[in-house]
Amino acid sequence: MQIIKHKTNIDFIGKRKPALFISTVLNLAILVGIAIFGFNFGVDFAGGTVVEVKFNHDVHADEVRHRAQQGGLHDVTVQGIGSSDEHSFLIRMGGVTQLTKESALTAEQAIKGVGPVQTVYSDLDNGLVNVRATQKLDPAKLKAAVEATGTGVKEVRDLGPTQNGAEDYQIVASGMADRVFAALSHGLDKPDFQQDRVDYVGPEIGKQLRNRGVMALFYSMLAILVYVAFRFDFKFGPGALLAMVHDVIMVSGYYLVSRREFNLTSIAVLLTITGYSINDTIVIYDRIREEMARFKGKPLPEIINIAVNDTLARTILTSGVTAISLIGLLIFGVGEIWDFAAAMMVGIIVGTYSSVYIASPLVIWLDERAHHKAKHGQSASEPKAA
Amino acid sequence: MNRSWYWRLGTVIGVALIAVWFLIPTYYSFVVLPKADRNNVEMLAKVLPKWAPPATYRLRLGLDLQGGIHMVMRVDTKTALQKRVERRGDSIVAYLREKGFGEVTSVADPQLLELALTAKDPAAMDKIQPEVVKDYQDFNVVSRDGNKLLLGLKDNQVSRFQEDAVDQAMLVIRRRIDKWGVAEVDVRKLGTDAIQISLPGQQDPEQAKELIGTTAQLEFRMVDDTQPFFANLFKSNPPPADSGITLTKEDGFPQLVGKDRDGLLAYVKGHVPADREVLLECVQDGTVKKGSCNGYRTYLVDKSVPLTGESLASADASVDQMGTPEVDLSFDAQGGKDFGNLTEKNVGKRMAIVLDDNVNSAPRINEKIPNGRARITLGGAGKGYDEKLQEAKDLALVLKAGALPAPVSVGEIRQVGASLGDELIHKGSMAVVVGFLLVVAFMAMYYRGAGLIADVALLLNAALILAGLALFNATLTLPGLAGFILTLGIAVDANVLINERIREELAMGKSARVSVDQGYDRAFWTIFDAHVTTLIAALILFFTGTGPVRGFATTLIIGLLASLFTSIVVTRVISTYVVHGRNAQTVSV
Repeated sequence: MQIIKHKTNIDFIGKRKPALFISTVLNLAILVGIAIFGFNFGVDFAGGTVVEVKFNHDVHADEVRHRAQQGGLHDVTVQGIGSSDEHSFLIRMGGVTQLTKESALTAEQAIKGVGPVQTVYSDLDNGLVNVRATQKLDPAKLKAAVEATGTGVKEVRDLGPTQNGAEDYQIVASGMADRVFAALSHGLDKPDFQQDRVDYVGPEIGKQLRNRGVMALFYSMLAILVYVAFRFDFKFGPGALLAMVHDVIMVSGYYLVSRREFNLTSIAVLLTITGYSINDTIVIYDRIREEMARFKGKPLPEIINIAVNDTLARTILTSGVTAISLIGLLIFGVGEIWDFAAAMMVGIIVGTYSSVYIASPLVIWLDERAHHKAKHGQSASEPKAA
Repeated sequence: MNRSWYWRLGTVIGVALIAVWFLIPTYYSFVVLPKADRNNVEMLAKVLPKWAPPATYRLRLGLDLQGGIHMVMRVDTKTALQKRVERRGDSIVAYLREKGFGEVTSVADPQLLELALTAKDPAAMDKIQPEVVKDYQDFNVVSRDGNKLLLGLKDNQVSRFQEDAVDQAMLVIRRRIDKWGVAEVDVRKLGTDAIQISLPGQQDPEQAKELIGTTAQLEFRMVDDTQPFFANLFKSNPPPADSGITLTKEDGFPQLVGKDRDGLLAYVKGHVPADREVLLECVQDGTVKKGSCNGYRTYLVDKSVPLTGESLASADASVDQMGTPEVDLSFDAQGGKDFGNLTEKNVGKRMAIVLDDNVNSAPRINEKIPNGRARITLGGAGKGYDEKLQEAKDLALVLKAGALPAPVSVGEIRQVGASLGDELIHKGSMAVVVGFLLVVAFMAMYYRGAGLIADVALLLNAALILAGLALFNATLTLPGLAGFILTLGIAVDANVLINERIREELAMGKSARVSVDQGYDRAFWTIFDAHVTTLIAALILFFTGTGPVRGFATTLIIGLLASLFTSIVVTRVISTYVVHGRNAQTVSV
């Protein structure tokens, strides 16, 4: 069986300028879009709490949201996942602990009522209230005072005396997750749902994970570039690099447009794409090198066109087979795994495109520039010699 | 067929057999054992046949597939450092007063970790400065202006302190989890200021936070040795023979030793006097990994707590003039007085150092210790110097953990319910099977004979990935499953490249034999390069990723390495047999 006939003769190189133009415009548009709209960051990167609940009867997302609000949870998003007969929902909250701007204020007031308090200041990011008092306070009383304002307290830490005889305390607010359970089962004898999954990421860790992800992308591109430059020729490097950058931006564009959650799995997709999409490029580059040795003196654009045409079948087939393997994930995967497969699919397609239309033509462009420079260099040096 | 072909055939068959062999424990843990015992290594070891690999080499499910809690705790070293700077300030003021340098005030800057000392006049400060620089070497002089001296904590002190703080927190967390009795717990350091904890099977994230996130409590409590309590109990009410509880003597004091924590506590329950309590000390003989115990010994201690870790200013392990490892403690002003009174009243008795209800050590009080500085000498006959020094270091760590605990806060929690895990396993395996069958069917249809050969290699590749995961004790996560099927898709790319090359050679009119040989030779480096680039990305993902994403990277790495072998070596052995051995004149590709 053969889908792509053995000897194609498509003029890829002739179409390189419009292709490069369209790709550049698309990439720039995506970058601008990211700058303006940003990604829909998941809790991994934005910090916050996600709770997955599964009801034992038919229920609509609006009803879940309504129940959450009745139970005192206001800033939540509710999203159904899986098929509707699974009754599963993701409930997402930006807040990490029960300490919010408003609740912190009332809590601070309550703390001042406990004893001679010197300073109180709330650290919302970490869900802490720091208290400095002029004499020893009873931690149990502090806890009771804050809890009376509606904010759950996990622990009151006695940090001990400071100099000048003051006493330091730290009040740690409870997490959001236990609040969800209470809110949703509000007014029910027995909860009609189960809490399947809780993801909680603190804002500090979220920031760290994000930075680490970006660094990982950067390093892997650099390492692959070094490898390609080492195994091939320096003039193959920029083409490979730009093809990688192109693929990463295009897959990011998928996340931008689809508004799918951008999280750690997305970084895994981007990294895998940088490593995988270069494979097609390597196949073509290998062939270009082989043909260059075979047809010495033939102009480079022609050689590249032959190489791209000769390897077209395998470029499409290799990507195709990998895409086929993802079909199962697209059928049965839910949530993160479906997102993974879909983004991978986008990456494989743009990776194939970029190998043919970006990585290969850029070799010519660099070669032309080198020639151009060499010519100029010659003509510039000639008068001197004369 | 030449000799090297037989060698290669032998290698392929050997590798395949080893892969299957390594999958035996996995097969038993998933199919033979009931689901509830899937994580029970001892049970698995019992049912495994003698010739199988050890039970530890089995494929485990990640937390996202079997249910459980993954958490990352952040150690807030900043708060602890600020506290430390303030305390050092107090200590400097007290020290200068004691040495007769007059009254000095100290103000700490919590942000910059600096101390501003103010003396009554510049001349006094001139005398103080060299003294402080000499005796408080953890500080640098930042600036000096008249009667004011500004000190800053040295950078190496900050990093050392951070390391200590994370080690302390890990110690506390390990002990608490040990008390909880969770199997298969994994506690490890993550970066410089975080600790990652995996609790398979646990379902309540709030309970886990409570357990792990609360600050450690250090107490000094008196041991009641006035009556041979444990000896009497053992005589009057002997424990059941199968409990493994025995009566031994340590330093002449009778005590009970047992392997099972709950069993020991249950045995003494109901016999303990109202104002006493039985606490346990973890016994380690070096055969178990750090942080876990292979037995416990009992202490009868007073319920009242005369002194807590808050009074402790510092604790350091050192070696005395005789070369014996010891731990030096110093208390703050009030703590020193309390400690003096306590030791005066209890000379000859033992004082238990209790962290989180675990006895860490119970040194005997030899005399009154008046000045707030105490020394614990590590005794115990038959122990080597290194062992004693390590004990001293461990004890110092425990004391520090209780004295100046760095607060830990929850950075990340991921909890998956067991039923969700089952559903994910079901869907994930369906996805893998469907993807696998589609790839196999495509290859067989498109390349016929050569496609079938690639399919055989693919099957072996799948077995190798699973065996590799089992061998490296990696866990299979949901992203790992996705990585598994993706890797198979990538692996078969190599065969596409080879087969296309063979078709190309055939189209040039070459014989089947030459085409196959050249197809493999010419495609090799392309395939090699393609694998290396993907491996680079996978390795970087492995080193930067956490949790389930790491599982994806692991699967990808093992799969790519296996693919180099299966797609090139394995398929070539079969293809060579077809064109050389069977002397086929045509090749089905």
